Amino acid sequence: MRILLISISFLLLGCASYPTKNGFVPTATIERANINSYFSDTTKDYVYKAKIDAFDKNFGGILAIKKLGNMHHRLIFTTEMGNTIFDFTFKEEEFKVNKILKDLDRKILINILKRDFCALILENSKIDKIFQKESKTLKKVSILDKKHFYLSENGQLSKISRTSNGKEKVVFSFSEINDDIAETIEIIHRNINLKIALSAI
Amino acid sequence: MSVSDAITLRTKVKEVAAKTETVRSDFTQYKHIDFLSNDIESSGQLAFKAPDMVKWEYTKPFAYSIVFKNKTLYIDDAGNKSNIDVGSSKIFEQLNELITASIRGDMFDEEQFSISYFTKGGKSLVHFLPKDEQFSEFIQVFHLTFNAKGEVDEVKMIEPSGDYTKIIFANRSLNQPLSDADFAN
Repeated sequence: MRILLISISFLLLGCASYPTKNGFVPTATIERANINSYFSDTTKDYVYKAKIDAFDKNFGGILAIKKLGNMHHRLIFTTEMGNTIFDFTFKEEEFKVNKILKDLDRKILINILKRDFCALILENSKIDKIFQKESKTLKKVSILDKKHFYLSENGQLSKISRTSNGKEKVVFSFSEINDDIAETIEIIHRNINLKIALSAI
Repeated sequence: MSVSDAITLRTKVKEVAAKTETVRSDFTQYKHIDFLSNDIESSGQLAFKAPDMVKWEYTKPFAYSIVFKNKTLYIDDAGNKSNIDVGSSKIFEQLNELITASIRGDMFDEEQFSISYFTKGGKSLVHFLPKDEQFSEFIQVFHLTFNAKGEVDEVKMIEPSGDYTKIIFANRSLNQPLSDADFAN
């Protein structure tokens, strides 16, 4: 009987949602709110040295992000010597590829980049649910039909998790926050061999 | 620039290039992206050894170096080392050849480029338009500025979008001994 109870508990825990599994309890819901202010200042150029480890190959470059208006960002990735690899615009619901090198012009790759960068820069969103655990807040947001959880500690965003079946699939970590700029950002895919590390320059 | 001035410049640059065994120079790079408020600035040292070894060593604001030698591109990205066989990539091979040629200024190849000549602030400015369509997707035009001695002072690589990379050379020393170790990566 005890074994059965433990098994059921594990089964229930296994099926539990991502917040419940991590000890968060739901609080009041709000309609729309700020979820990420790290790319929210139109007067700033957000420039990062990027290191990408993809499928056992690693390469680097420069990632520059600029907020051009409300719900409007432009993002460009170049080599260290300045050659443009890709250049994207995110404007409200619209996504536009301004340029991508022919060798990289693959729908599957563009979709991965679109999802990752959309989640990285999205400033405001409809909040599906808010959870609380001590000084930590977890906001559940749907981005491009995928569940995302925004974890803030003492009001500062430290992590975004894209989940599926209660498990983390992609994790965005923000650290060394200075003057509302995340100096270090890591985007780690758990289901594919892809890691993007960004350091502000 | 008159036709005779263009011919004189060309002859002078080719003479300088032919005598150039090694180059060591500081460089400052400005990446201009139209939608950014400021250019992205980086700087470092360049080393060149004839016929075709080049090392670009960025020291600010990040440590990154790239060496072109033996048809291979060796990268050291803050300790992360990798290499690319440039022979397998036409674009990289061309870029390598062009960078090597542009350091010496010896890019006057009418088969590869449409070339036009200008004078700007007492210096000579030459525009090189790549004829290869695949390459011009990468860089639409090179602008090389030469000083009175026929040395390259500035290279500007303009992309089809209008964004560009400008590299300005300073403290150049010519034909000082450089060993293979200077090109290790």
